[in-house]
Amino acid sequence: MIDDTKLENLAKRLGAAAAERLDVGATARTVVAALRRQPAQRRTWIELHWMRVAAAVVVLLGGGLIVRQTVPDVSEHPNHLVADDLGDLSTDQLKDVLDRFDEIVGSTTPLLDSSSDLRELNDEQLRNVLRSLEG
Amino acid sequence: MAHPQLRTESASDTGLIAAWQAGDEQAATELVGRHARALARYLAGAGAPDAEVDDLVQETFIRAFRGVDRFRGQCQFRTWLLTIGGNVLKDYGRRAGRRKVLPLDEGVHDLTGDPHEHAVASEVEARLAAGLQVLPRLQREVFLLRAQQGLDYGEIAAALRTTPGAARVHYHHAVRRLKEMMG
Repeated sequence: MIDDTKLENLAKRLGAAAAERLDVGATARTVVAALRRQPAQRRTWIELHWMRVAAAVVVLLGGGLIVRQTVPDVSEHPNHLVADDLGDLSTDQLKDVLDRFDEIVGSTTPLLDSSSDLRELNDEQLRNVLRSLEG
Repeated sequence: MAHPQLRTESASDTGLIAAWQAGDEQAATELVGRHARALARYLAGAGAPDAEVDDLVQETFIRAFRGVDRFRGQCQFRTWLLTIGGNVLKDYGRRAGRRKVLPLDEGVHDLTGDPHEHAVASEVEARLAAGLQVLPRLQREVFLLRAQQGLDYGEIAAALRTTPGAARVHYHHAVRRLKEMMG
């Protein structure tokens, strides 16, 4: 089997004839003439900047579109606060709701230290208590 | 003419590139003179048909000069040029319907010495050239950059956007496979 040194020597010779035959002067003239005919289109910084911005916009819009198509539209199901339904209740009805709430949660661990104190609250304060319970 | 002081043999490649960017055509001529033969060797070694080497060298330089703004000194200009040459050769291969024309007559042009030895050497080189065509492109390029062009792994890695360790692995895989194929 061929050894590493011989392989590298062979590799060094590879293409040597093609390189020798190359007319370097003619190549340079051809290259320069081609560049003269069609100079490099150099992008300015501002062009690159706007290209990046445009790319970012495309990504954002595309991403948004994909999200809209794959994730259910949450705006169709807005957060519903039960406490919002309490607006039409009278003071007595609100106090009843709180009393029932205590019963539902459990008589051994009342959520409110003293439901009797609720009797002294007005409508707005009661609604605030209910909203705070709702979290 | 702009930057006449750079048109000397002592001017660095980066100096010549800057001069070319400032409109100095002579700087481009100097760069072609410095690197054209190495590029031709690389392209021929990578499988460019003999008849196409001149055109591929020209195309590589034109592409390099037009995209020279992308060269930021991450490696030597020649190394960067060789990687562009690899892309130009790949594009040529696509255009030519992926036909592989191997430089089987390398070495035949040197007619000094024992004709039998030349024939044997030519045959071995032909087997190497054929073996290189079978390698994955990255292995082939790493092998040529290392063995033919004498570049170190750090330089190769910078040009091919990989790590020196990965370049070393590619090289050793290439050597192992070439040895197996060449017997």
